[in-house]
Amino acid sequence: MDRYRNKATILSLISMGLGQIYNRQFIKGFVYLLIEAYAIIYFSSNLGRSLWGIVTLGDTPRMRVNGKWIDGDHSIFILIQSLITILLLIIFVIIYIMNVRDARKTAEKRENGIQPNSFKQSIRYVLDYKFAQAFLTLPAIGILFFTVMPIIFMVMLAFTNYSAPNHIPPAKLIDWVGFDTFRDLISLKTWSHTFYGVLTWTIIWAVLSTVTTYFGGLLVALLINQKGIKFKGLWRTILIIPYAIPQLISLLVMRNMFNGQFGPVNQYLGYFGFGQLPWLTDPFWAKVTVIVVNMWVGIPVSMILIMGVLTTIPRDMYEAAEVDGASNYQKFRIVTLPMILFTTAPTLIAQFAGNINNFNAIFLLTSGNPVVGDYQYAGATDLLVTWLYKLTLDQNKYNMASAVGIIIFLIIASFSIYNYRRTKSFKEEDMIQ
Amino acid sequence: MKMKKMLMLCATVTLAFSITACGSNEVKNNATPEASNTTTETAAPEEVIADGALQPEEGATLTVWESKEERTFTDEMAKQFEEKYGIPVKVEEVQATDQVTKLTQDGPSGLAADIVMFPHDNLGRAAEAGLLLTNEALAKETIANNTPASIQGVTFNGELYGYPRAAETYALFYNKELVKEAPKSFDDVIEFSKTFTDKSKNRYGIMWEPGNLYFNYPFIATGGGYIFGDNGTNKEDIGINSAGALVGLQTYVKLKAALPIKSADITSDIKRSLFNAGDVAMDITGPWELAGYKEALGDKLGIAPIPTIDGKPAISLSGIKAWYVNSFTQYPNAAQLFAEFASTKEAQLLLNEKVGSIPTNNEALASDQIKSDPFVSGFAQQVINSQPMPTIPEMGNIWSPVNAAFPEIWDNGKDPKEAMDKAVQQIKDLNGGATK
Repeated sequence: MDRYRNKATILSLISMGLGQIYNRQFIKGFVYLLIEAYAIIYFSSNLGRSLWGIVTLGDTPRMRVNGKWIDGDHSIFILIQSLITILLLIIFVIIYIMNVRDARKTAEKRENGIQPNSFKQSIRYVLDYKFAQAFLTLPAIGILFFTVMPIIFMVMLAFTNYSAPNHIPPAKLIDWVGFDTFRDLISLKTWSHTFYGVLTWTIIWAVLSTVTTYFGGLLVALLINQKGIKFKGLWRTILIIPYAIPQLISLLVMRNMFNGQFGPVNQYLGYFGFGQLPWLTDPFWAKVTVIVVNMWVGIPVSMILIMGVLTTIPRDMYEAAEVDGASNYQKFRIVTLPMILFTTAPTLIAQFAGNINNFNAIFLLTSGNPVVGDYQYAGATDLLVTWLYKLTLDQNKYNMASAVGIIIFLIIASFSIYNYRRTKSFKEEDMIQ
Repeated sequence: MKMKKMLMLCATVTLAFSITACGSNEVKNNATPEASNTTTETAAPEEVIADGALQPEEGATLTVWESKEERTFTDEMAKQFEEKYGIPVKVEEVQATDQVTKLTQDGPSGLAADIVMFPHDNLGRAAEAGLLLTNEALAKETIANNTPASIQGVTFNGELYGYPRAAETYALFYNKELVKEAPKSFDDVIEFSKTFTDKSKNRYGIMWEPGNLYFNYPFIATGGGYIFGDNGTNKEDIGINSAGALVGLQTYVKLKAALPIKSADITSDIKRSLFNAGDVAMDITGPWELAGYKEALGDKLGIAPIPTIDGKPAISLSGIKAWYVNSFTQYPNAAQLFAEFASTKEAQLLLNEKVGSIPTNNEALASDQIKSDPFVSGFAQQVINSQPMPTIPEMGNIWSPVNAAFPEIWDNGKDPKEAMDKAVQQIKDLNGGATK
């Protein structure tokens, strides 16, 4: 009785829905047929142009003929349009495969003497058993077109020459250049020098800012939690204030406070007879300043987190430690610290990854300055992400920005995955060996 | 497994429909000529009537981009234009220096304003990218009515694009209470500062933004340096490190005695408050500060040309602010009419009244309103000794490297030749290999 199966399969291969109609599922078959018809109409008018577009990115720019502007190909629009069409094609292929499988399965059931579901039953079946999948389809499609598609598009830009001043549509076309952008970034001296400099500082910044805020928060939390400290609520409130003020305000105020000549910080230093420091104008001190100010902003977060963890440590562990005659320091090292680290390791990694891209702290406080003479569009405190911002918004070097963006992603992803897999909470081992 | 895909399918199809419907149509309008009937030909219209009067399109509505500072003027213009032609004009705030970037993004997708306004150093970028309509229908009037320098500024590759509305340069603002008369040369400035500058009290003889090429141009150009050779058209010939420039930069280095501060510590806000408070005696800045300074200092405010450098009158950079018509506009005629209407003699005088700008219109320059205004006439003297910024697109590659080189000289005492050589090398890389 194989013939149902094969016939249904072949029929639905020939055209969507035929197999279902053969299986006496007329409405479903008809719906499939409609999809097929629409797809044929849509792809016949679009697919060729899309494939041509994604390969060539257009061949006639917008030109002026006798004083009239004649619209040509806008490479960027063509790229996006082609991308949408190709994604739809993939979706269509998936539906096609589903339709063949569905026809085959139903035919198998028929061979076994089971009546195929009527349309009503199909709907009910989906609502009862496949509700989640059906319901998630909408957001999935949304994510595909509003998140995944733009990301693919931006990644593609790194492989084009889309940059000012010579390759900005509509008067100019853009072209695929393969890995040239990456090659320039890594080997061309003007770019590579900046790239390695900014990359090095980004890593240093990420490590230092994470470590300082985390251990600063740890210290403050432990201090507040000591026995005999009065007004715990008050201290907590005071320490949480920097976190509560929007960074947009506090960091811009900080920028003025640290002004080397007119800022209060240096005025007070002078008043007490200390020397004045070039807080924001010297490359080294500017780096110190952003780290210090970031501590002020970031410590409250770690403090709250760690205070929460401290309350979860069972008291009897400390009691046992006391019975064994442990000193305060030993209690901290053997009981408190491992517990805290175990619980907060994933957060720590998240903070680290976040700090690699800590746009606010840098951009609002120093804008990446002080300028460095031999950097391309970057300053001494620029992170990769603020440099990317400058490349895109100030210089329109989209391809370079895209390449930098891809590299940032690779760095963060690899760091995070590697570190996360090594944490004890991931391995779910015993907490304390 | 069996029927599970039904709902998914429905959902997929409807969504796909909607996405492709809006997605592709929008794109098609711009990408395929046959798909649209509005944006295919935005051209300087043929139906120009004999006396040069353009006819605005039926049902036209216009959008204009204008900077925050000068918005009051454009709001007024929009109102008058609507009264005269019955065409509603919407004003949107976009900073002058951001307009070309925004036009590049939004122009092709039809979201940009019909009329934009930017300093002319951005003209090359915009014109090369095909974002602007040339000023043809009204070119005769524009050329006849405005100063030659302003026409040169809004012309690119021999084609007139803009409708000039104001010239902009910077001059020496001084506080008459502190400086009896304006210093003739920078040597006088240094002499005066010896008696006035006191870092511990935050009093300085002179202040400007020493990290910014725009204001430092006199030190480069007065001795014979330049940005691009052949009147700013030759991108191969960069003159910021030429012998003439290095002579002027000696004066720049000497001025550190008068202003012993790191360049990054000087922001326009700080400079403004110190000058208003009488802690800074002289400030080199542009007309945009005029209204505030007049209010703060009243009669004590004086404006003079920039002091001489090595005995030669200082050459400043000038910018021509002009209207331009977006080449993607649906109403090219109405847009051109507005650009013309908002740059006439009356318009320029109104702009002067609102923000103290310097007109480019010959009759406006000769009018009593300008002649009797001591402040504007002070600027007008400096305008005579100014060079318009280059308009070639490579101008965009100049600012960053040079604005990084000046702080190196000013803050870190680097040798000017070394710093400028490096900047030139960077600019050449940007013009050539690095931007490919």
